[in-house]
Amino acid sequence: MAGVRLEGIYKRYPGSDKASVTDVNLDIKDKEFLVLVGPSGCGKSTTLRMIAGLEEISEGKLFIGDRLVNDVAPKDRDIAMVFQSYALYPHMNVYQNMAFGLKLRKFKKADIDKRVREAAKILDIEHLLDRKPKALSGGQRQRVALGRAIVREPQVFLMDEPLSNLDAKLRGQMRAEISKLTKRLETTTIYVTHDQIEAMTMGDRIVVMKDGFIQQTASPEELYNHPVNIFVAGFIGAPSMNFVTGTLTEQGGAVRFKAPGVDVSVPEGKAATLRSKGYIGKEVILGIRPEDIHEEPVFLEASPGTIVNANVEVAENLGHEMYLYLNGIGTDTVIARVDGRSGVRDGASVKLALDMNKTHLFDKETELNIFEN
Amino acid sequence: MSTLEWLRPLQHILNSPIQLLTINVSEWKAKIGVAESVPPGHTANVVIEAGGWASHQDKLWMIADYDGSEKVTILELDGGQLSQKERELISWTLQLANASKGKLPAPESQLSESEKHAHKIGEWLQKQLEADEPNFSLPDHLTVGSRLYHEMIPFLLITEHANTRQDVYPELEKLLRSFLSDEILLIPLKSQEWLIWGPLSLLKDEDADLLGDQNEEETMEDSLTSIAFGLHEMLASEWLGECHLAVTHPISPAKGMVEAAILLRETISLGRKFHVGTNIHLPWMLQLERLLNAIPESNRSKYLEHSLKRADLFVESEMLATLETFFALDCNVSETAKKLYIHRNTLLYRLDKLKQETGLDVRQFRDAVLVKIILLLYKVTKRN
Repeated sequence: MAGVRLEGIYKRYPGSDKASVTDVNLDIKDKEFLVLVGPSGCGKSTTLRMIAGLEEISEGKLFIGDRLVNDVAPKDRDIAMVFQSYALYPHMNVYQNMAFGLKLRKFKKADIDKRVREAAKILDIEHLLDRKPKALSGGQRQRVALGRAIVREPQVFLMDEPLSNLDAKLRGQMRAEISKLTKRLETTTIYVTHDQIEAMTMGDRIVVMKDGFIQQTASPEELYNHPVNIFVAGFIGAPSMNFVTGTLTEQGGAVRFKAPGVDVSVPEGKAATLRSKGYIGKEVILGIRPEDIHEEPVFLEASPGTIVNANVEVAENLGHEMYLYLNGIGTDTVIARVDGRSGVRDGASVKLALDMNKTHLFDKETELNIFEN
Repeated sequence: MSTLEWLRPLQHILNSPIQLLTINVSEWKAKIGVAESVPPGHTANVVIEAGGWASHQDKLWMIADYDGSEKVTILELDGGQLSQKERELISWTLQLANASKGKLPAPESQLSESEKHAHKIGEWLQKQLEADEPNFSLPDHLTVGSRLYHEMIPFLLITEHANTRQDVYPELEKLLRSFLSDEILLIPLKSQEWLIWGPLSLLKDEDADLLGDQNEEETMEDSLTSIAFGLHEMLASEWLGECHLAVTHPISPAKGMVEAAILLRETISLGRKFHVGTNIHLPWMLQLERLLNAIPESNRSKYLEHSLKRADLFVESEMLATLETFFALDCNVSETAKKLYIHRNTLLYRLDKLKQETGLDVRQFRDAVLVKIILLLYKVTKRN
């Protein structure tokens, strides 16, 4: 097993002025499960394809273990790939599909048999070894593709949206299985997805990318609780973080955040930072997650300085929780996640309290989190 | 150091694509003849050696390798951007690389019988492909018994990275034999282009009984597509990396060699032009592209200008991805929304926005056809 190191990696396509991937620096530790996440076109797949050797690296150095592999062919990088568009070998049965790579590398028959049967057992496809791919379901095919990668016992697994062709239920199931599998095999894994739920549930660390640049690299908890900028804050979490543009003022020794329909006090700890960084009197963007907007009377009583009034545009009851789409907090719709038993109806006027200890404030121009930079 | 090892870094340094070509000595001499610029003292009769170069207009050709035979391996690059010193530096590097190699490619006498035969067929085929009136049937002396009269499955492979190692033919042939069957025929065309013939047995399904009704739905095209995807996956991960692959219906190599090669070359060319990022190209999926490609460029641009009330909407990557998925899923709204991980209403909103801004409603067959054509034309014209 080995770590992977990317030093100042760029990808430029001929005829394009703008790099598709810019100055990517990553130190992926041995046995780590790293997720690259971001919207379509952010450069995550290109980065993975450069690690795989399917795209040339325009600039920078790529190490697998201690070996510089920029000019090493994919087959010699000791990696195994499972891609979205994975194709099984249609004329071979499941056993032959999994054994082919080993056969090419001249493994002994007994070793091949041992590895294939072990992988099949892990993936629960032992009973399918004689079947051809077209006699398999989507989920079974996905397992065979994983099996083909596992038997190689590579230094690194590279996976590019491997679950995107599966239906939602199967995707959830396979997500848990891949996590379990990589932990059991203790293989370094680099996983690309556009799905932030996959990223949050699978990754030891997550790299959020946008327009070819890394925005933040951190653990799921760190990303969720301490996003460095508006993009990361809005990308991670569902429903997304709410953003309200307003002004910071100082009144009677306390800092207040004011926006249309909002006049709330900022906790002293945060206020001190805002004063020292010169934000008083300036426009900023307040970010608050849906679960940090409360309608419980206990919370309202305890937070008299952070109460806002709003109208419920739509109340979506999911049973255990309820999403309230609110008007009157800033200029855009704000979403609150409240208890499913709260009984709030469409069109109701509600009193809510913002948990200001959990809010984030972003510089309006740089979009950076004032408290994290 | 193999050519592959220095070709990639050189492309990085120059930030420009470099073609590695194998041409006849006579063709090289012809290039020297028309060149506007050659190293001092060079004429068509000069000794041919690595590092020698000639330039004409913006093209620069430089000898990468020459083994004294009738073939010379050259680099073709954009010479317009290179200074004299840079040219000399590349030339000197090539001389050094060649000298340090100290070993010439295997002479013909060292090639296996099957490789010699394949090279002969390749040379004949190349000539037919370049001829105004090609001979479509393989001459008797190249058919070797009856094997090439049986139907086989033709694939055309074009690799993205050059591999000039001496053992590239045996290496690829061995790989294909392990993967497809011992019955394959591998014919080298240009330095990065190969015609592969696979046996018909690949289409036979021993599991037909197991599959029952499900199997009846699979057409010949479905089977060929699966094989092409599998072959591409294997070549990309077990050989040189990314490559382009086309396949077509089985035909006898003796009768259909030229026909298949023409069709498959055209297929890859159309696929690369209209579907950038796709590596497996299927002639039966490129019918509309073939038709559009036959329309003169000026007419295509004029039509595109006329059809779009607001062209920039089609440039938006989100709209492009939405429409491509919508068409790929036969205009099925629910399936498209599912595939794009968006709510059905979000998709309908996007389609309504398109209708509002272009007047084209892709839920209507007539407009869907027009938008499909506009998208295809847009993809080609925006790169010109």
